[in-house]
Amino acid sequence: MNNLQSLSYYWPELLLVTTILAAVVYDLLTKPSESQRVGLLVFAGLVLTLFANWFTSAERNITLFLDSLALDPFAQFFKTIIIFSTLFVILISRKSNELRIYRTGEYYTLIAIMVFGMFLMVSAIDLIMVYLSIEVVSISSFILAGYLKQDQRSNESSLKYVIYGAFSSGLMLFGLSILFGLTGTTKFFEIQNVISGLDTSSHFALIIASVFILAGFGYKISAVPFHFWTPDVYEGAPTPVTAYLSVAPKAAGFALLIRFFHVLFTDAGLFLESENGIPTIPWPQVLAGISVATMTLGNLVAIQQSSVKRMLAYSSIAHAGYMLMAMPILSGNGVFAIMIYLVMYLFMNLGAFFVVIIVKNKTGGETFEDFRGLGWEMPLVGIVMALFMFSLTGIPPTAGFIGKFYIFAAVIKAGPSFYWLVFAGAVNSVISLYYYMRVVKVMFLEGESKEEHIFPSILESALIIILAAPTLFLGVYWAPIAEWITNSLRFFHQGI
Amino acid sequence: MDQLHNYLLIASVLFSLGLFAVITRRNAVAVLMGVELILNSANLNFLAFSRFGGMNFNGHIFALFVIIMAAAEAAVALAIIINLYNNYQSINVDEAGQLKR
Amino acid sequence: MIENYFPILIVFLVAAGFVFVSLILTHLVGPRIQNPVKMMPYESGVDQVGETRIRFSIRFFLIALLFIIFDIEIIFLYPWAVVFNDFLSMGAFIFIEMVVFLVILAFGYVYAWKNGALEWE
Repeated sequence: MNNLQSLSYYWPELLLVTTILAAVVYDLLTKPSESQRVGLLVFAGLVLTLFANWFTSAERNITLFLDSLALDPFAQFFKTIIIFSTLFVILISRKSNELRIYRTGEYYTLIAIMVFGMFLMVSAIDLIMVYLSIEVVSISSFILAGYLKQDQRSNESSLKYVIYGAFSSGLMLFGLSILFGLTGTTKFFEIQNVISGLDTSSHFALIIASVFILAGFGYKISAVPFHFWTPDVYEGAPTPVTAYLSVAPKAAGFALLIRFFHVLFTDAGLFLESENGIPTIPWPQVLAGISVATMTLGNLVAIQQSSVKRMLAYSSIAHAGYMLMAMPILSGNGVFAIMIYLVMYLFMNLGAFFVVIIVKNKTGGETFEDFRGLGWEMPLVGIVMALFMFSLTGIPPTAGFIGKFYIFAAVIKAGPSFYWLVFAGAVNSVISLYYYMRVVKVMFLEGESKEEHIFPSILESALIIILAAPTLFLGVYWAPIAEWITNSLRFFHQGI
Repeated sequence: MDQLHNYLLIASVLFSLGLFAVITRRNAVAVLMGVELILNSANLNFLAFSRFGGMNFNGHIFALFVIIMAAAEAAVALAIIINLYNNYQSINVDEAGQLKR
Repeated sequence: MIENYFPILIVFLVAAGFVFVSLILTHLVGPRIQNPVKMMPYESGVDQVGETRIRFSIRFFLIALLFIIFDIEIIFLYPWAVVFNDFLSMGAFIFIEMVVFLVILAFGYVYAWKNGALEWE
């Protein structure tokens, strides 16, 4: 539908834009010492956007703005995840000591702009929208990663991020240009029609285009070999920003990846096999290979880290690898598994990073030395962190186990050709046990029992309890989440 | 002379030059120039395909958006480089090496 | 059609040739006498005083940055202006659309102005 009719369906995003503009104005009106109030304004605006998102229901798939954005329950699911993670991060940013000496008005405005960019990412069905949305999210995160202007590590991390990010976007754009040249259109559904009818002479160009586009998407979700920016950026950026980057853009990147592959290269979930005896790109094997490489590298390098923050960065690379395991199976099972893993991953990863923030507020450091004896000194934080570590490993009855269970089940159901993938995933989960348990060991088995117990402030305690409760609860009773995801997927395979 | 493959060849040459600049140069601004070269090579691709594909305007519009995003990205990258200079007194990308491997 | 552009090629070759020939000739023919006074930087006849590197003011970058951003906003106005008349038949929507875009960028301009990006120049 054209622009004017689309606006009536677009009002959550319009609310979000109004929030951004209001935050810009409010930032001008507040004094530098009160700049945290902008965060409250953005928080309120995001809550309104969340409710607006829930009330904009779609009875069928709708495309907005002349087939460039899709409004379907799949996009609404991801928008909800993104807003929830943003709300948690805004609350913890108020308490972080790293940001205390800076004016944070622009920080919250940039987070709101990133949310808008991610909304566009999860709804994009046009090549122009794919590029624009990835760029909006990337540019805002470049600035957020370098927000601590006086900290040399933050500067370095934003420099590395900007070089890798701009370079990967350029590669992806080159791939998009070749895809446009092959098909003559930028809309996903028309590209799907043309690709299924291409002959062998364009086979090589399609391979090149796909490799380049995969470079851009892989950069967004930190897949190997496009992951080189992740450890340095996660380590140097302010920890609330790291927590946010590890969850929200990754979720949006997966949504985009799923949509791209689902529409272009599959036929209702099954990857297009050879036609006329000429093989196409073996996407299931390629994606499975990338997944194994990502998992293995993430897990193996995380073992050697001495900084908890950097270890969590490599662990988030490994988790992207676990989610990629289900990508070769883009039927209902695979997409369902990725989506439920993302919900569980949100809670456990944000929780782990929030504990790092609390420890950094207390001791100023983020290495394993600063976690020593934490279980005895701050028992609430210690128990909660142990829970998050168990969940990240995938030990029942935590939420992480449920996520991994669905992923493994989806891969096993796909047939014997993928059993090696499940085996690799299981081996990697066992390897990850080492470095997650190392945190628990340092917290509880080292250091002596203290008499007085310290508790973090009310807001911090409330946040980590709010994140820890679902981590435990969803491991036991996850039916509401499963129902919500099945509901979100009900129109997914139909197309427009 | 006025054929599609000539334009694509020039775009590929530009892409390779940009790739070389990003990988090899130590000056942060030179790396940024390489990124701009890559983006402009993609622009050439879009315009060439658009012209030889029956004057399909999608390519022109995409190229316009790319020009704009490239400028915004360059602005942000230059601001980050200035920030880097304030702290390190150098814009050599090898000098910023505090975060260990 | 490309034959029409031959005169431009000839002008280019003549200009480049002139530059190169004069540079090479002066290099080959000119005398070589080294003199320490000749090697000092030229400052209108007086002796040098102070550092040669000035502190680069951040204001230059900010002004250039703001120029680029608003120039890009103008770039967006050109395609809109081309199709404006065709869409005007459907009402004032096309005009309001672009006004909203300009208003959003005006918010950014007011933000930069109030934060002192336009001072001291």
